Amino acid sequence: MFEDTEHKAGKGTLGIVILGPLFGLLYVCFLPLIALMTLLLALPELAVAKKAEIVDNSGACMTCHSSREFSKTFKNREKMSVFVNADDFKGTVHAFLNCTDCHQKVSLSAHPGRSSYDSREAFILAASAACRNCHSDTQLKAKPVHAFLTNKTNGPPCIDCHGSHSVKRSTAWKNTLSDNQYCLTCHSQKLTKTLGNGEKISLFIDPSPLKASVHSKHACSDCHAGFSRTAHPTRDFSDKRSRTLAIAEACKKCHADKHSAVRESIHFKLISEGNNKAPGCTDCHGFHNVGPKATYETLSGVPCKGCHEDVFKRYQKSVHGLAKAKGHTGAPLCSSCHFAHEVKISAMNERIKTACLGCHKEAEAKHEKWLPNAGLHLSAVACAACHSPNTAKGIQLRLYDQNTDKPFTEEQVAKLLGAEYQAILQRISAHGGEGLESDELWDIVRKLNDKGTNAKVTFLGRMDVSDGAESHQLALKKNAVRDCEQCHTSESEFFKSVTVAVVKADGRLQNFKAKPEVLGSVFSVVSLKQFYVLGSTRLKALDWIGILMVFGGLSVPLAHITLRVLTSPIREAKRLNKMRKEGKR
Amino acid sequence: MKKIYLHPLPIRIWHWINAVSFIVLFVTGLQIRYRDMMSLMKFRDAVDLHNVVGFVLIFNFIIWLVYYIFTGKIRIYIPPLSVKKFVTGCIRQARYYGYGILLGEENPHHSTPENKFNPMQQMAYLAIMVLLIPAQLVSGLFLWDIKQFAGPISLVGGLKVVDSVHVVLFLFFLSFIFVHIYLATLGHTATAHIKAMFTGYEEIPEGHGH
Repeated sequence: MFEDTEHKAGKGTLGIVILGPLFGLLYVCFLPLIALMTLLLALPELAVAKKAEIVDNSGACMTCHSSREFSKTFKNREKMSVFVNADDFKGTVHAFLNCTDCHQKVSLSAHPGRSSYDSREAFILAASAACRNCHSDTQLKAKPVHAFLTNKTNGPPCIDCHGSHSVKRSTAWKNTLSDNQYCLTCHSQKLTKTLGNGEKISLFIDPSPLKASVHSKHACSDCHAGFSRTAHPTRDFSDKRSRTLAIAEACKKCHADKHSAVRESIHFKLISEGNNKAPGCTDCHGFHNVGPKATYETLSGVPCKGCHEDVFKRYQKSVHGLAKAKGHTGAPLCSSCHFAHEVKISAMNERIKTACLGCHKEAEAKHEKWLPNAGLHLSAVACAACHSPNTAKGIQLRLYDQNTDKPFTEEQVAKLLGAEYQAILQRISAHGGEGLESDELWDIVRKLNDKGTNAKVTFLGRMDVSDGAESHQLALKKNAVRDCEQCHTSESEFFKSVTVAVVKADGRLQNFKAKPEVLGSVFSVVSLKQFYVLGSTRLKALDWIGILMVFGGLSVPLAHITLRVLTSPIREAKRLNKMRKEGKR
Repeated sequence: MKKIYLHPLPIRIWHWINAVSFIVLFVTGLQIRYRDMMSLMKFRDAVDLHNVVGFVLIFNFIIWLVYYIFTGKIRIYIPPLSVKKFVTGCIRQARYYGYGILLGEENPHHSTPENKFNPMQQMAYLAIMVLLIPAQLVSGLFLWDIKQFAGPISLVGGLKVVDSVHVVLFLFFLSFIFVHIYLATLGHTATAHIKAMFTGYEEIPEGHGH
């Protein structure tokens, strides 16, 4: 055995001598190859070892999904990493599950291909459906928010709130969030709600505008009273409008001054009359993106243009709008004249003049320098009438109480005349396009002053731009009307458009067309006793009286001269007679 | 030919200032009111001129009033206090203008500095100087600044009333002027009264008067 061994050893020595270098060469040459092959052979074993750390049969999945390098591209070219963090998963309540317990359609033989899903969202929705295999409707609906979400057709997928592989009970992570983050976990989702009338509202809150808003430091519940981590009342608004109006109550909590200013506005009046276009707080300020005051004082940010587009366009072309566009911060914007919250109608309103003079403090003095009776002009002619040249203008007659020096409002008229006022209105509306007659104006004034209420009512005339929107197109000073003849002649077009404007207590006007003749009628001595424009509103009757009087004055000498001519022979005869007598003497 | 010093210098100056003012106010007033029918001057110029001359007339009136009151000559405007005397005076004068003058009769009234006006003139001029001119001046003043005089304007019935008064009086003065000028030509010669208003002296032909 030993011999044999030795023999063999002798042979082996030879073998070693010969084969040794040969194997050495082979070894050196193939070592990296061997190492690589060994590694390749060992890989599945390594993967299995990893798998064993999670769940036995998930090993195959994690072969690939433990790598951060892999990603999936959806049909819409969105990319999503397919990495699964095994360590995170181990700590979850789902640690006992296999991959395929949730990803039921996936197996080694059936793996979703490159283009199985349209988008990431579609994939997430499909993946979330798996949750419902274990989590029943009953379980989910036990909580009101879940109940709400599960009833929704487009409710957010479970994993949006709970995560996917690192799934957590919501309480586990929600309690670590700030109050606002807590709300945003749901409301940063694209939630919508259908209101009573079928209108849909978004419940989605974009966190970035909220952060940029002036309310960024407020808690959600500061405005959304009654809502908290533990309470989420269900609000059932019949429509968007009622929600808008309800929100105003939230604003009022802090902005009571603005809220009471709004109550003085035409917008509030319209709202209380049931107008569903007049704006509530959020219509101008937005909901969660409430900007600083300056936001609303820029051409791009002014909210008024949303409804008053025609006016805004005129304004943009005006001297004010152009200055604003050039960056003049002092140039007025809507709220400068109409006020931001106590929004007033400016027509026929002294407030608008006050607004103009608010900036143009020297205007009265400057007008005094060249315009006769400047004060009178400034009170009877709207600023825009001269400063918006090339606009149609007209005379607006409004009832005016001389005792109080204030407009006599429609409400006062209605109170004073009672049923008679309705009769007058009916009569006026029966006119159609004809316009009121001078005797009708006289009749109204007479009735108002007859009632023994100590009212001293008359119609007061005022020249204004006929179209409210046009009055915003204020021109450069050099283009303003300076020519007296534009108005002070009965041929002026401006005196051919006459409107009777009954002012409501809130400043709104009810306009009735009147015939231009009312300005120069005999009746106007009573009905328009305080409105007289040189050259333009002269009494036509006086023209005829004038002709008669001048004719009368001329006819006296003419008649007398005629008589004298006719009787001159008598005097001549008498003179001759006398001369003869004197001659005789 | 006898000469009577009928018109003292202040009165002559006053008269001619009045005359020119009236004409300027007539023209500018018509221009203001009837812009659509005439364009002698710009509206603005018409208004300015009307205002200035209006004030001239106001001061002129005050001068007249002060002069006549302080010299006591105001009594030449006062008709006879006796109604009978006044009525017969008026009838006599009216008869002259309507009848006597045609037959070449002598004017029953002979002007003297103390008894310048015949009863009809007294009646007319008293009304004009005490009532109509002041009414015209005051209504003009109101219209000059209706804001400042808003109170009194309202008191008399409103702007339209004030304006109507101003216009009706203007029409009266305009028609009166025709008669006034015509009557001024009815002296013993056509220019006798007019010359007198320049020189102060009214010529009385011999054989006239008492």
